[in-house]
Amino acid sequence: MRHWIRTALTTAALGVALTVSAKADPFKIGYLLPNPVGELGWSYELDRGGRAIAEKFGDQVEIQFVNSLGEGPDATRVMNKMAADGVDMLVLGSFGYQQDGMKLAKRYPKLSVVHIGGYMNAPNFSTLTPRHYEAAYLCGMAAGMVTKSETLGVIAAFPLPEVLNVMNAYVLGAQSTNANLKPVKVIWLNSWFDPAMEKASTESLASQGTDVVFSLFPGTPGPMAAAEQLGIYGTVTHSDNSKFAPTKHLCAGQLNFGPVMIQKVEEAMAGNFKGDDVFAGIADNAVSVAGLSKDLSDEQRAQILARQDEMGAGTFKPFTGPITSNEDKEAVPAGTSLDDGAIKGMNFLVKGIDTTIPK
Amino acid sequence: MMDALIFVLAGAFATATPLLLAALGELVVEKSGVLNLSVEGMMALSAAIAFMVTLQTGSHLVGFVAGGLSGALLATVFAVLVLGFMANQVAAGLAVGILGLGLSGLLGRSFEGMTLPGLGKIALPGLSDIPVLGRILFTQDVVVYAAIAATALVAWFLYRTKAGLTLRVIGENPNTAHALGMRPVGVRFLAILFGGVMAGFAGAYASTVLTPLWSQDMIAGRGWIAVALVVFGTWRPGRVAVGAYLFGAVSLLGLALQAMGIGIPAQIMTCLPYVLTIVVLVAISADKVRVRLNAPAALGESYRPAS
Repeated sequence: MRHWIRTALTTAALGVALTVSAKADPFKIGYLLPNPVGELGWSYELDRGGRAIAEKFGDQVEIQFVNSLGEGPDATRVMNKMAADGVDMLVLGSFGYQQDGMKLAKRYPKLSVVHIGGYMNAPNFSTLTPRHYEAAYLCGMAAGMVTKSETLGVIAAFPLPEVLNVMNAYVLGAQSTNANLKPVKVIWLNSWFDPAMEKASTESLASQGTDVVFSLFPGTPGPMAAAEQLGIYGTVTHSDNSKFAPTKHLCAGQLNFGPVMIQKVEEAMAGNFKGDDVFAGIADNAVSVAGLSKDLSDEQRAQILARQDEMGAGTFKPFTGPITSNEDKEAVPAGTSLDDGAIKGMNFLVKGIDTTIPK
Repeated sequence: MMDALIFVLAGAFATATPLLLAALGELVVEKSGVLNLSVEGMMALSAAIAFMVTLQTGSHLVGFVAGGLSGALLATVFAVLVLGFMANQVAAGLAVGILGLGLSGLLGRSFEGMTLPGLGKIALPGLSDIPVLGRILFTQDVVVYAAIAATALVAWFLYRTKAGLTLRVIGENPNTAHALGMRPVGVRFLAILFGGVMAGFAGAYASTVLTPLWSQDMIAGRGWIAVALVVFGTWRPGRVAVGAYLFGAVSLLGLALQAMGIGIPAQIMTCLPYVLTIVVLVAISADKVRVRLNAPAALGESYRPAS
């Protein structure tokens, strides 16, 4: 008899516990990043986006951060585990997580996936890409203003469309403020990550007269630190690098994932997550210029910020024709602007860039 | 144009120095008959530790000592496995190397992306005033000069001293050496330790002088290039040095040519250092008989002391 009572009590208690836990069950997010977070750069900015979610929603969300997660089997394993444990949302911060994320999205229809920097979509798989090129145009304007040798240099990893559109926007921005620009020098690293070669590339460009170097999607702050040492200006994507180039930091394209991430979480919590293709820029408060050099005059600074406002308002688009490619073909006809699809799939370099697209 | 040339040739020495230091260490290890494939991991671990120590103490010297010690520590783990437990050298080397890479990421976590002031270049009085050549050869940091000296010292040790002869004999046939009263296990242990210290210096140079910053995976395969240089340099210190400097020069040449806008595809420029270094080293080592003479006959074989 006593035995029965105990069982009944336990069952009741368990039931209560389950109800309570179901009530307070937070929205669970798995947040995966490819590199250590560090103090700036891609993973750092993504991590900041995650912190913004945590700050906004407090106890309503529970975020599990995993960083330094190599693409491939490690990432697959962690993602599968999280999905099996019943997370409500996965945020995947590396291109290489795309295939695995898509598989999980298909297997778990209730799971919402936000992948950053890819091209795939499904009803519960959204892709998010920042418009780096908008800030790059503005940094290009600054570069055109300060260069004395009229020689700019760019260090980039691979000639992917998203790299080409940033490079083109940068050069178009520089040409808009400097009519005498010499051909822009480009070094392809052919590696996402080689700090020693990043630094050597900066030195190589400086030895050939470059006085503003643009570190496009860098693996480390190495090029900016090297620019400071060499006494040339540095511009950079992702984060303000002023700490590494206190006197020579010209401009940075600052990312801000917070607002767009919060929006996706809100959608998912409300049960109307959209598997859309988010191309977030200045208008979405996702990209901006930061760390503008003190060497720019007030008028120059105002000119750059005015352009930023125009882009935010949609009254100025960097890829508005006529634009000629560096193979002397018409890339954008006069009077038209490239649409988002063409920007994302960019496969030409603008006139004035002294390199070919490696094939 | 001249500045670009000086950038390539002067920069080649610094770029090659971590390769050369690690390769010299590995050369001595292999000459004793042991194949240590953990160079990459030893370099990574010591790069992390040397960076942290240099950042805390402000002294590159202390950083190098710490780097050398951490390389030696990891080498000791390897030595215990292959000499003590007679583990397979390839497997043990890979395992210890992965351990080193993992530890470097773990220990360096809170230092990710930080930078250091590099090491000043020393302009040799008189010599550095020679036009062009002075800026290429005689305006380098102290470690670059030390690496050149180390190449000469290793060559002298191996071919001009009795201890070097002992080491080479053990690398050829440890059983015979043992019968002659030599101590294969002890000598191999010292050789492995030396390899660890040199890989440690190489890592320390990469993170505190060459780049100089710490970031996970910053060694980026240089340890493997060092191992390859030893083989393609047919276990001769001079050739290994030539290979390292060539590799450094060609990898910088790629960057200089790209900046000039010369239309060679970047992928070709990126693989050129590997291809050219292999071609040149194979060409100068074309004599098969001499290659066989230089290759340690007992390389990779475990030695069980006769009891």
